[in-house]
Formats: sequence, structure tokens, C-alpha cells
Amino acid sequence: MNRSLVWLVGVLALAGAVAIFEPFFASNSRAPAGPEGLPGQAAPVFELRDDRGAPASLAAYRGRVVVMNLWASWCPPCRAEMPDLQRLADRYPSALTVVGVNEGESAARAAAFAAALGIRFPVWIDSAQRYGRLYGALGLPSTVIVNRQGVVARGFDGALTFDQMQAAVAPLVRSR
Amino acid sequence: MNAFLAPALVAVSMVVSQLILPGKAEYHAGWYNVLLVALVAVAAIAARRYFAALQTSRARLAAWAVVAGAVICAAAGVASGLFGADTRTYVGAPGQRMRADDLGGSLVFPFAEDAGAEVALERPLHRPIAIGGNARNAGSFILRARPREIVFVEARDARGNRLTITQPTGAVFLSPALLMQQRQTIAGMDLPFDSFAVPAARRIVKAVLLDPQQAAMLSQAAALPGKAAVLFAVDDENDRPLPHAIALSAGGRPAAAAGLILQGTVATYPAVEAVSSPALVAVAAGTLLALAGLAGTLAARRPTLRPPPPERS
Repeated sequence: MNRSLVWLVGVLALAGAVAIFEPFFASNSRAPAGPEGLPGQAAPVFELRDDRGAPASLAAYRGRVVVMNLWASWCPPCRAEMPDLQRLADRYPSALTVVGVNEGESAARAAAFAAALGIRFPVWIDSAQRYGRLYGALGLPSTVIVNRQGVVARGFDGALTFDQMQAAVAPLVRSR
Repeated sequence: MNAFLAPALVAVSMVVSQLILPGKAEYHAGWYNVLLVALVAVAAIAARRYFAALQTSRARLAAWAVVAGAVICAAAGVASGLFGADTRTYVGAPGQRMRADDLGGSLVFPFAEDAGAEVALERPLHRPIAIGGNARNAGSFILRARPREIVFVEARDARGNRLTITQPTGAVFLSPALLMQQRQTIAGMDLPFDSFAVPAARRIVKAVLLDPQQAAMLSQAAALPGKAAVLFAVDDENDRPLPHAIALSAGGRPAAAAGLILQGTVATYPAVEAVSSPALVAVAAGTLLALAGLAGTLAARRPTLRPPPPERS
């Protein structure tokens, strides 16, 4: 058998061995669990209702940076975080939208909660807790930042300080 | 038939059967894998003797192809038998993205409301695979969807306000879908069981799934003929039982317990069964090679033998 044939057989044997054994040792990259593992994924878009009953969807905010905050009225850290979210919305009115997504409660309860805290950003009612499931929320609050292209840029489990929020959105707001 | 053909073809057939009839415990047994290796070894030894008698390179190539095909198939079969995981069922909540490292990717479970949507396997550098009732090959696994019963729950306060459902011990924290993976014995019956929390009301609720007959046995008044039911038991946040805290929700009707209005709707939702199998590409390549070699060997009906050496005078 000539030399080149030996090489060819060797390469084919190696490729065959890889094809046979690789699947048993293949492993997904160890992405973090929960919202922190979301960056890079397209943010799911579906229609919800806001706290006044009007249709609401992420699709309406394409081209803007969106900060989606999942919350519920019974959650003390959610309550603590709300004023900072409003401050963030006020800081970047032309480039950024904050959306509060209420997980599993009635519109009346969510609206009363928002009014009591002086919240002016949109509040959506996710009564079936779909965003909570899709974003793999490990608890409340959870925050997901979606870039202008509709792709998740950052995901956070737990309450954020204003400085953390600003540090996360600043590069996205600046980029076009 | 040449002596090497039979063991080689039996080895190929055994591995192909692992794809056609996946999930048999024998495939992971030591004797099965030893048998595969032994068949290939016998084929190789018998073929070697046969080669010596062959004159044409075409006939030699055909014989080599049969043995090589059998070796590739057997390697795939043994790899699956020794390294492949046992049959496993992935149970996910609607809307959940579940990491499945064994499968090299993530399983994406559709929302129950999305009619016709199937669970998908997403893997890096591969197209997503939709997993339905028919078996789908995913490299070293055969996947199929198996329907099972889950329960969608709704909780409201006494004024009818909807309340958040959480599952601190479940696969998905914010989900109103109970996967009912645990079992509990009640009145001698072994029943699917799950639990959830209603943080706004500081309540923990246990839910037991009952078929229509079981529901009728437990409560004739609350059961509905032909409808599955969910038995709720409400505890406080420290797991202490409360008075008037047991209620039966049949056919998705609301039931009152310990200040909550609870509603349980039974639905069928797919789980994914993953059965280890030999690598499809390797088995296909090995089988084709073996069959091509078999055809070549049979075409050379009578092998041309080397002429006997001239007698010494």
C-alpha cells in the first residue's frame, strides 16, 4: 500500500472515530442559569395587555433600548427598585423605555401599586406568567435589557441599584 | 457464502436493529457488546485468510469493504452500548428552555396555548429538531414526545383578584403549570402530586391529580362525571395546615379553600423521551460500505484462486 493511501485511511479512520464517539462526550457550554444566561437570544415577542387593558408588545419598541422588569406587588425588593426604574426612564426619554411586567396579578392590583409609587412607565399584565417562564426567572424582581435590535443584552436576577442599571444601559443607549 | 460474510453481516444487522428498535436494555449489556466485538474479530480473521486466496484487487477491495463496514457499525454500536446514557425522560414546563447536556443542547418547550407547536432541541451548529410523536434521530439519541398530564392552576383572593403562582421547588419558579412528577398515597391510592406557593396570600398549596373515578370516590358531591379533578390542600407559609383548607376542583371549576379560590385544569402536554442509539452517520456509512462490499463479493461469484506453484522436477 503506498504512503498516500495509508494517510487517507488514517484520516478517514480518525474522522470516523470522531463521528462515532463525539456525541457521547458533547456538552453544551455552561451558560449561567436564569436571566443571566439570556444575552444573545432574541427577546420573545407576543401580545399582552397593559394595566388599562390596551394591547402591548415589545414589537412596538424596536429601535429603542428596553428595560423589562418582572415584578409583583407582594415582592418587597420589587417595590424598593421601582423608583430607580422610573428615574432611569426619566434619564433617557428619547432612547430607552422601561416596561414593568407584572407577573400573575390582576390589572387592578398592578395599577393600584404603580399609582401608589408614582410609576409613569408602561405596566404590562402577564397573567399567565409567560415572560417569567421564558426568561427562566429564578425569583422576583428580574430584569432583562433588550437592545435596539430586539436581542437580549443583559439579564439580572434580583433587585438592581440605579448605578447598576445605568452601567448596563449606557453602552446600549450610546450605540446606534 | 464466504466465511467472513456471515459474522460481518450479523454484526451490521445487530447495530442497525439498535436504530430500528431503540431503548432495549440488552444494548447496554456486556455480553451484547462482547458479541459485537467477537463477530467483527471473527470476520476480520476469516477475511484475512480469504484475501490470501484472492487474485484480483477488485475482489480484495470488496472483501475489505465488508469488514470495514462491519467494524464501523460495531464501533458505533459498542460506543452507544458502553457510553450511551440510559433512557431518560425530560419533563419541562410550557415556555421553559431546559438545558440538556446529554443531548448537547437545550430543549425548548412551547407554550400550551400554541396549538400544534412541538418541543424543539436546539444545539450549537445544528438545525433545531422538532420533536413530535415520531422518533427523531439526534446524533447519538433517538427522541420522541410522550404525552403526559399536567395541571394549570389559577389562584384568586376572595375578591376575585388573580394572584401570582410560584414554584420555589419546581423546575420553573414563575409557572402556573404543575408538572405532577411526585407521587403521594391517599386512601390507598398512589397519585401524582405537586405543590406551589401563593406569596401574596402567604400560602403553600399541595395539589393531587385524580382521575374521574378517584375523584368520585373521594367526593361524590364535588366530582364531575368523566372529568379529572385536582384536590387542593392549603397550608400557611410555614407548612402548617389551616382550617377549611381542602377543596376539589373538578373539570376546571373553581373551588374555595382557606380564603383562596383555586382552579385546576388538567391538560396533556409532551415530555421528551431520549433513547441512546449508535451515531446515525457512522451506522449509515458502515452499512453502505458493507452492502457495497457484499455486492462486489457476490459479483465475483467464484473467486479466482492463485495458480498452484509449479512442481519441482
